Amino acid sequence: MELVLEHVCKSFGGLKAVTDVSFKVPHKAIYGLIGPNGAGKTTVFNLITGVYKHDTGRIVFNGHDLRPLRPAQIARAGVARTFQNIRLFSQLTVLENLLVACELQKKASLFSSILRLGAHHEDERSMKKRAEELLEVFSLRDVADEPSTSLPYGNQRRLEICRAMMLEPKLLLLDEPAAGMNYGEAEGLKDQIRWLRDTFALTVVLVEHNMQVVMGVCEEIHVLDHGETIAEGSPEKVQADPKVIAAYLGEEPEEEAAG
Amino acid sequence: MRVLDALITGLAQGAMIALIALGYTMVYGVLKLINFAHSEIFMMSAFIGLFLITMLGGTEHPLLAGVGGTLMAMVAAALIGMLVERIAYRPLRNRGKSSLVRVTPLVTALGMSVLLQNLAQLMFTARNRSYPQLLTGSLSLGPLSVGTSRVVILLTAVVVMVVLELIVKRTWFGKAMRALSANEEAARLMGINTSRVISATFALGSSLAALGSVLFCLDQSPVHPSLGLVVGTRAFVAAVLGGIGSITGAMLGGLLIGVLGELLKLTSFSGGTDIPAFLVLIVVLLVRPAGLLGSARAEKV
Amino acid sequence: MAEARTVEPSPSHEPWRARLRDLAVVAVVLVLAFVVDQTLDRVIPDSSVRQLLMLAACNVLVALSLNVINGMAGQFSIGHAGFVAIGAYASAITSSRLHERFGAGDPTFAHSFLVVPTSLLVSALCAGLAGLFVGLPSLRLKGDYLAIVTLGFAEIVRLTIGTAQISADETAGHAWSEVHGLGSFFHAISVSIAGLGGQNGYAGPHEKGVPAYAGPFWILGLTFILGVVAWRLKFSGWGRALRALREDEIAAAAVGVDPTRYKVTSFVISSVGAGIAGGLIAMMRDGNPTVQPESYNFQSSFDAITMVILGGSGSVTGAALGGVFVTFSVKLIELVQGTNAVQSLKRSAEWLDLNALRMIVYAAVLIALMVLRPEGLLGERELTLRTIRGWLRARQERRDRKAEDKP
Repeated sequence: MELVLEHVCKSFGGLKAVTDVSFKVPHKAIYGLIGPNGAGKTTVFNLITGVYKHDTGRIVFNGHDLRPLRPAQIARAGVARTFQNIRLFSQLTVLENLLVACELQKKASLFSSILRLGAHHEDERSMKKRAEELLEVFSLRDVADEPSTSLPYGNQRRLEICRAMMLEPKLLLLDEPAAGMNYGEAEGLKDQIRWLRDTFALTVVLVEHNMQVVMGVCEEIHVLDHGETIAEGSPEKVQADPKVIAAYLGEEPEEEAAG
Repeated sequence: MRVLDALITGLAQGAMIALIALGYTMVYGVLKLINFAHSEIFMMSAFIGLFLITMLGGTEHPLLAGVGGTLMAMVAAALIGMLVERIAYRPLRNRGKSSLVRVTPLVTALGMSVLLQNLAQLMFTARNRSYPQLLTGSLSLGPLSVGTSRVVILLTAVVVMVVLELIVKRTWFGKAMRALSANEEAARLMGINTSRVISATFALGSSLAALGSVLFCLDQSPVHPSLGLVVGTRAFVAAVLGGIGSITGAMLGGLLIGVLGELLKLTSFSGGTDIPAFLVLIVVLLVRPAGLLGSARAEKV
Repeated sequence: MAEARTVEPSPSHEPWRARLRDLAVVAVVLVLAFVVDQTLDRVIPDSSVRQLLMLAACNVLVALSLNVINGMAGQFSIGHAGFVAIGAYASAITSSRLHERFGAGDPTFAHSFLVVPTSLLVSALCAGLAGLFVGLPSLRLKGDYLAIVTLGFAEIVRLTIGTAQISADETAGHAWSEVHGLGSFFHAISVSIAGLGGQNGYAGPHEKGVPAYAGPFWILGLTFILGVVAWRLKFSGWGRALRALREDEIAAAAVGVDPTRYKVTSFVISSVGAGIAGGLIAMMRDGNPTVQPESYNFQSSFDAITMVILGGSGSVTGAALGGVFVTFSVKLIELVQGTNAVQSLKRSAEWLDLNALRMIVYAAVLIALMVLRPEGLLGERELTLRTIRGWLRARQERRDRKAEDKP
């Protein structure tokens, strides 16, 4: 269940967004991907999930090359993600948002859900049960029937994680999950990420600016700048790397952590 | 000989189609909206042009009636275009991207088109009306004799296109238009009055359609309320064929459609020009959706 | 905002009970439809009123099918009439041929059990294939391309059938065969298309009219059943995924909903529905015995869009109401136009074109609706007894509160 990137390159027109990036995320790891704005972190996520296709190099998950797959197929192969700029299904309720994500695990066909056969009801019931369990963990159970966009920002982020988890993924890509969260919420998020990994035997890759979260939860960190790798290793090692400090953390990494 | 003749007719036809196609393409460029009402503005200005030319003396004062009528029709069309924008499109702007309102501009565009067409039917009735013969006679170019109207049309179209190219590339308005096309929000933040630029774009596009329509009707065609449907569709195909949003593309598309239509008349194919035009349209969209000269954009995630 | 909820109003019961209830409802509907079928001629002696009723039912099907693609999937098709036309011609041909096999007497109710399902199957198949052919390439593209392609498709269908009369004439066939080696092939095609009667329309192989096998039993029964199917489609997981896709394609793909597959499926379902509606219109009892290309022009596509949008895009009951409303208003104008008063008025005022007036009013209403209430009358909500009761209760409460405030 490991994710491997080998010499991945992607350019948009003349702009090189990602240049020769390679890394390997072992099974059940929590892996951090950091770098200043515009470093290409989200692009890497988009390449893994097939929203964009890389020009050269290879992205391999669980032994499968992801390049020929469409985004939906990659999702079905067990790669789930959240988005930096939250993308919920706004006209759907919180619960419906989750139910969409398990559409492809259903046993009932379209035909049987029109005829309302037993399989349809069984599906709906088991899906609902699973969704409600997840909402419980992320303390969203009470708002299950609210329109998803009526939630406060932090809850929308948590809802996106729930939705991704409904896929029963093997790899979870989180794009700035702590954005807009305060200290306490971010601490809670750290616990939730660990809980998810332990409970569902997940591999997690995290793009995050909040150093409190990144340094606290990641076992290994990969630093990008201008689309290129500048450092790689344990949080301690990366924090001490002069190149990283110069490019990203600046003179006082503590200040960064507070923001 | 017949082929050469058809080519010239086709070029003249195509030049007029291109004039109308420009309106589609310019509006699409700034608003990313297919202005379905554009073809009806074309039809309306054909009627207005006819009335003005008749009022100004028609065949008795061909120069005054022709030039004056055309210019006034262009002004009238510009006003109608701005009115259409004000009523049907402006209230919908800045509504966000919610799925429920995403298709509303398309609905109002269609609605406006249906409204104008039926309004014309009601006001002018469905019968054909002919333009006075202002451009008669022909010029001989070597072995060829070409109708004066064709020559006038071709020359006008070429001049208009050059002027338009200069406007878009050289003037402040052109720059603002292009800025708006690239990123409306950024353009607004840079102090461009986007509403005014959009209004002006509609005015410009509509007046070009009026020019095209008066020339078109002077050359060959009677005016009737479904003229917009017939010719407008062809112009629309031309705009998409050339790459909607691209001004040079619209000219190229127009000429291609015009020539293609005339050449088809030489064959025994009798399905009219519309079936092939639509087939071309669909094939182009499938093979090269951005059109011949358009460029594709990627959505930011 | 709380009203944006679109969870199915009535919760499902135990599966076996639900199925039993379904069967009971279907049985009752069939019996009712049969009774109506046998007595309608006596209850409503005026055939034009009967025709109106059936046409309304067929147009409900047209609206319901367009609602799948324009409402639920959030795409914009403006050539729905093209698919209705394909369905109409397919059923007209199939039923006429079968009718000849049965000796071409009066269409009997017993025979209709063979003719109607077979013809509708052919219609559904043809329209569905056309939908696949149109949708598969165009739905991969973003933006308004589907609108353009559907417009082009519907016009091609109409113009091809309408102009075929001329292109089938002998000289044309010869010219083609001179130009291409494929001449005989083209010739065969143009002859068979010209067999559809061109501008005059198709009225069976011997111009005796398309046999009217689809009585109220078929039309009302099928409209009810397909209405339930549309409802269940909307509230199935499939419908949910489709609505999610409409909200955000990229996010939907990220949870495994394949945009192209879902959009194409919805487009094919929509075309199949249109095909069935067209087939029923062609075979309708008391209907027009000739299928004409001009009945399926852009105006009728626009009417279909009006039906869907007036009621509220995405709402099944809204589309159904829209279908009924538009049908009745079209018919009303036709009736008014036929009256002596209007006829004499028209003689004095030549310009008075009531149909043009209707289109102006529709278009203006549509524009105003888009400006003032872009989601349509109902939005995505459904009109059920429960929602009506909810509205009434809310109104009563408001009134009570006002009454309390006053003293």
